[in-house]
Amino acid sequence: MKQLVLSVENLSFQYLGQPNEAVRNVTFHVYKGDWVAIVGHNGSGKSTVAKLLIGLLKPKHGEIRLFDTVLNEATVWQLRRRMGIVFQNPDNQFVGTTVQDDVAFALENNGIPREEMVERVQAAIRQVGMEAFLLKEPHHLSGGQKQRVALAGILALRPDLIILDEATSMLDPKGKQEVLEALIDLRKKQQMTILSITHDLEEAVQADKIIVMNEGEIVANGTPSDVFSLGEKLAEFRLDLPFVMKIKKELQQTGIPLSVHSATIEELVDELWTLYLNK
Amino acid sequence: MNVIIGRYVPSNSVIHRMDPRAKLLAMFIYAASVFFANNGVTYAMLTAFLFILLLLLRVPFSFILKGLRPVLWIVLFTFLLHAFLTKEGATLYQIGELAIYEGGLQKGVFISLRFLLLIAMTTWLTISTTPVEVTDAVESIFGPLKRFRVPVHELALMMSISLRFIPTLMEETEKMIKAQAARGVDFYGGPFGERIKAMTALLIPLFIHAFKRAEELAIAMEARGYRGGEGRTKYRLLTWGSIDTWLLASTVGVTILLLLFRA
Repeated sequence: MKQLVLSVENLSFQYLGQPNEAVRNVTFHVYKGDWVAIVGHNGSGKSTVAKLLIGLLKPKHGEIRLFDTVLNEATVWQLRRRMGIVFQNPDNQFVGTTVQDDVAFALENNGIPREEMVERVQAAIRQVGMEAFLLKEPHHLSGGQKQRVALAGILALRPDLIILDEATSMLDPKGKQEVLEALIDLRKKQQMTILSITHDLEEAVQADKIIVMNEGEIVANGTPSDVFSLGEKLAEFRLDLPFVMKIKKELQQTGIPLSVHSATIEELVDELWTLYLNK
Repeated sequence: MNVIIGRYVPSNSVIHRMDPRAKLLAMFIYAASVFFANNGVTYAMLTAFLFILLLLLRVPFSFILKGLRPVLWIVLFTFLLHAFLTKEGATLYQIGELAIYEGGLQKGVFISLRFLLLIAMTTWLTISTTPVEVTDAVESIFGPLKRFRVPVHELALMMSISLRFIPTLMEETEKMIKAQAARGVDFYGGPFGERIKAMTALLIPLFIHAFKRAEELAIAMEARGYRGGEGRTKYRLLTWGSIDTWLLASTVGVTILLLLFRA
């Protein structure tokens, strides 16, 4: 049994002056080394969940727990030290004047001694492959590079959980790919636990588990292939199927007997050539 | 942009490697002592000292002249003003009603020189020191004021964030100019009143964006554990070496000599 990292129980939240709850009875668990994606269209409540998780908003009901620590006013700073979040806009979260200053920012805030800080900054920058840019200023970096620096800033804290709040949605395809590769690499080499909040199902394909949110509630929950096999229902939640799934659907319509389980390009290609050989 | 941050010229000279605190203090002492100089010997001493400092920069002289260029007109103007309006000593030239006296000429030269020395000294600092280093130095030098509840850390952080956002906002302004021009706003032509009106189409979205940025930045900083200066450590390190003591000592030395030799 894997260790439970984050548990969210019956979480509800209502913005002041809004008739409906933005988040309603949301319950989910994230285990160590897992990559969980929360998907949903704009206004589905997924970004509110992110703000609740790092204590920027206070829940109406429910409980958020990181390992054994319950999130409340007394523990919020301690928990922020143990989970990091990358936001959407690459420019508006770059605090330092250079790459290394920005990566050191969270460490400075937490009073880490300087010798240890230098070591951790170097290591974190290496982890995201930005060591050639140590002294560069933010306006000399691309969006994808800035997001990798933001990621390094969090890695330097050695967190238990990384939260990505639409971290790739403002990037061009190349930048998106860079950030995703950095994340995949992190998970492979260090069993990092990742919670990514996104409306991009292509990104969600990378996850072990997908949680679909609509109108503040969890409407589907499972592995990518489980979720993608919902097909038409996803369109109801205003989510666009990833390219692989679209192709698969077209192929199935032309009468090729494909299983419901393949979710990635590799799986689909494997299935296709096996089918061809067996014919 | 060139006025504010483009003045720093990267190099590996002795001066560049000095502690920014030493350079800042030296500049302050020098600037104060310039006002005590009042005869040929003292001005010569100050000029010679500055000349040595500028040589140690190991930066082409044209960069230093570039820093001086914007003030040359003011220098020339003050020179002429003093030369013509001071009526002391023997008459040197007489052109109709206007006369130039020996005292006036001397005063004009001294005052212009004072201007040039001050500007050259600040240029010496900005060429060799990045704005961030200056910020660090300010925070460190004024650190003791924290006891009197002066928010030194907060001011320094504000300064460094402003510096970091200058290029970002410049980029955004450029984008906004293009976007509004594409919608038919004319920023360069038309009567003055029209052009001022056109500026609002640029300034309003720019301000709204800047406020939104500030809010998001504040959220991101809080999420990364920022809680003010209390209990914070610093990544950038200022190291005071013997060379820094030398700089400060020689500046103080020049000041003392100056006080001895002044008329």
